[in-house]
Amino acid sequence: MSGRAVGVWTVRLLMGGVFVTLMLSAAAWAVTSLGWGWPSPWVREYAPFVPLVYGTYALARAAIVPSWRYRVHRWEIAEDVIYTRAGWVSRTWQLVPVNRLQTVDHTQGWLERLFGVATLEVQTASYAGSSTIEGLDAEEARGLSEELAVRAGALRDDAT
Amino acid sequence: MGDHEEHGWVAPGSTPSPHAFHDPDVPSSSATPEDAVRPGAGGGVTEDPAPDMSPEPGARDAPDAPTTSGTPGTSHAPDASDAPTDSGSPDVPSAPDAAELSGARDASNATGTSDALDAPGARLASDTPDAAGATGARDVSDACEETAEGARDWWGGEHPAPTALVSERERRLSPRSMVVGPVNQLRSLLLPILFGLVVGGFNPWVLGATGAGIVALLVNGFVTWRTTRYEVGEDRLEIRKGLVRRSRRTIPLERVRGVDVTSTLLHRILGVAVVRIEAAAGSAGATEDGKLDAVDIAEAERLRRVLLHRREVLTGRASADTPDDASAPSGEGGGTDEGIVHFAVPRSWYLYGALSLGYLLTPFAVLATLFGAVQQTAGEWATDAFIDWVRDSDRSGLVMFAVAGVVIIVLLMPVFAVVSYAITHWGFTLRERDGSLVAERGLFTRRSVTLEKRRIRGYELADNPLERLRGAVRLRAIVTGLGDAAGRSVLLPIGPRGEVEAVVDRALGRYTGTLRRHPRAALVRRLLRSVGPPALAVAVAVAFGPAWTVVLTLTLTVAGVPLGVDRYRSLGHGYDGERVSVRSGSISRSQATVERSAVIGWTWSQTLFQRRSGLADLQVTVGAGAGGYTAQDASLGASVAFAADVTPDMVRPFLVDPRP
Repeated sequence: MSGRAVGVWTVRLLMGGVFVTLMLSAAAWAVTSLGWGWPSPWVREYAPFVPLVYGTYALARAAIVPSWRYRVHRWEIAEDVIYTRAGWVSRTWQLVPVNRLQTVDHTQGWLERLFGVATLEVQTASYAGSSTIEGLDAEEARGLSEELAVRAGALRDDAT
Repeated sequence: MGDHEEHGWVAPGSTPSPHAFHDPDVPSSSATPEDAVRPGAGGGVTEDPAPDMSPEPGARDAPDAPTTSGTPGTSHAPDASDAPTDSGSPDVPSAPDAAELSGARDASNATGTSDALDAPGARLASDTPDAAGATGARDVSDACEETAEGARDWWGGEHPAPTALVSERERRLSPRSMVVGPVNQLRSLLLPILFGLVVGGFNPWVLGATGAGIVALLVNGFVTWRTTRYEVGEDRLEIRKGLVRRSRRTIPLERVRGVDVTSTLLHRILGVAVVRIEAAAGSAGATEDGKLDAVDIAEAERLRRVLLHRREVLTGRASADTPDDASAPSGEGGGTDEGIVHFAVPRSWYLYGALSLGYLLTPFAVLATLFGAVQQTAGEWATDAFIDWVRDSDRSGLVMFAVAGVVIIVLLMPVFAVVSYAITHWGFTLRERDGSLVAERGLFTRRSVTLEKRRIRGYELADNPLERLRGAVRLRAIVTGLGDAAGRSVLLPIGPRGEVEAVVDRALGRYTGTLRRHPRAALVRRLLRSVGPPALAVAVAVAFGPAWTVVLTLTLTVAGVPLGVDRYRSLGHGYDGERVSVRSGSISRSQATVERSAVIGWTWSQTLFQRRSGLADLQVTVGAGAGGYTAQDASLGASVAFAADVTPDMVRPFLVDPRP
């Protein structure tokens, strides 16, 4: 998995954190300064702390989670079985045999394009059997998706 | 997808299976390796009937079958093209082969008389409308003695012709559908019309409008009948309808998933039925159905048979394992189109309806619809009348009335449940024919659901605590491409476990292993889950709420203990060498059993808390039914070993991988 994925995840988390913090700040400002009557005094008193606390949490998360996740996330293909491991606190291991693949999606959002990584999603006949590999090197992902498609076509049976 | 031998594949040890390379010159419509292999296998199986019985060209190919049994079916194709009729062969590579094989088998069954069934004649005969009537008589003796009858049979017409899939002529719905449609529409308009007549005081305008409406319905019925046509083509079904806005729906027969025949009471009085053709659309989940309302009952049966068989031929599966060839002419299981009856539900089973929560609630549903109907037709007038009545009558009388009503409803609940349950499940039979399981049920509306056996990946036994007390269980099939659509996959209504399992054994093959219990730590987790939230609620209630909320939440907390214990007791997973079985749940407990070959992946997931006690949820991925069945809180190590035991080649390569 590409190390640049860490960058993508960090930026994504930071953007989410900044957005939510801004919203919370706006709410806090509205509660304290607009002089509404309905919020109780203690709400007005503590409102400014909410965005502050959340901002700190988001910052810490953006600092810790991506690298942690990068250490957990693994994928491997051996003997026509795709094996993925994902998550950070809760973990998921998944085995998907290539001959049961139905579609292989290769997607790249704008952020991922910026960092030159891509997401590969393999789908089977069961929604539960779909697996995503995030943060692959873009070139590698493209090659892999083609290879998987060809291989799946070769091994394909009813795929259900 | 032809040249894929050396692609620098990641795994050095991977051995591409040889049959994958058979397909390059097969057209894409059937380019799956399975197609390349199956017909050959079919040839191997059909070699047994004595081929010298018949001088028929298709039958003469049979001696070749043993020698070429290992090769793909394409080796048969030249024989097929020599045969007198050759329609449809170029674009349907596997069809001539399969038809030719079945032709060989039929000839041997018909012992020498098959030369009378010369192909063109049979085809002409199959185009006559009488063909529908002849489907019933399919005994061996009939086939031998009454060759003419056999030839008029659609099947009889098909076997001698090496290329079976001939387009049929265009057909219309039954003329009686002219009655069914308008009457059904009228029925839904009956209350408004009556109300209009009563309120309008039968004045000529209202009467005239009503009359005009009825005439319009009748005309509409006539136009629908005149303009709706359907045609079974070589490889597709076309339904055309509409006078002004014409529509035309084409359903490729390979895509047909099932053909259901339904008939309401009215349909049955008139001897017609609704045929619904379910087809898989291009995208997953979307379906594209064709509906023919209504055709003769015999025609409905014939359509079902023809469509399913053509689908089999087109997908290259109409070979030895499809009993439409094997069971019907061989005379086993009655030799009629009844097929093999796996089970006919005895009357006493209807009593189990009282255990079903859904049916226990029917009185309320009936009341709700009644209120709805009154509301819709009488509207405010009825509401006002009700309010006036409440206002005028005295308080104690009202309370008495309400209490009595509630008591009566509660007492009647089981009675209603049994009655409504019996009505929907009346005469439930599960039979097998043409390689499909057919479940038929209903007193007034008779419904038959056909589930192709090849698509049945397993079964699910479900029960609730009430049913568990009586040892009752319900049976559903886990079917590909049906999604979780509950109603259609019901194989048996609620019944005693022993008998249900015996039926499973006969129809599908039963899971014979035992279920492995999950570790003790799972019990702790189940208890935390069932007791935790209500206990939290108790804390909140003690702090803020009034006394009754404390009592309520406390009760829930106490009730959570047996619930959690029961949930833990129902947890289990197992493997008996052929099937994987997973069980969970308490209020609605279900045990899903799927064939080993249906397992298309594994997923383990582990939360932080599970990791501390070494547990994980193992999900068996299946391309059928709900998509995945989860063994909750299994031990991680044991579950990996379990998965490796079930599908070694899927799991083994990764076992060396260090898992945390």
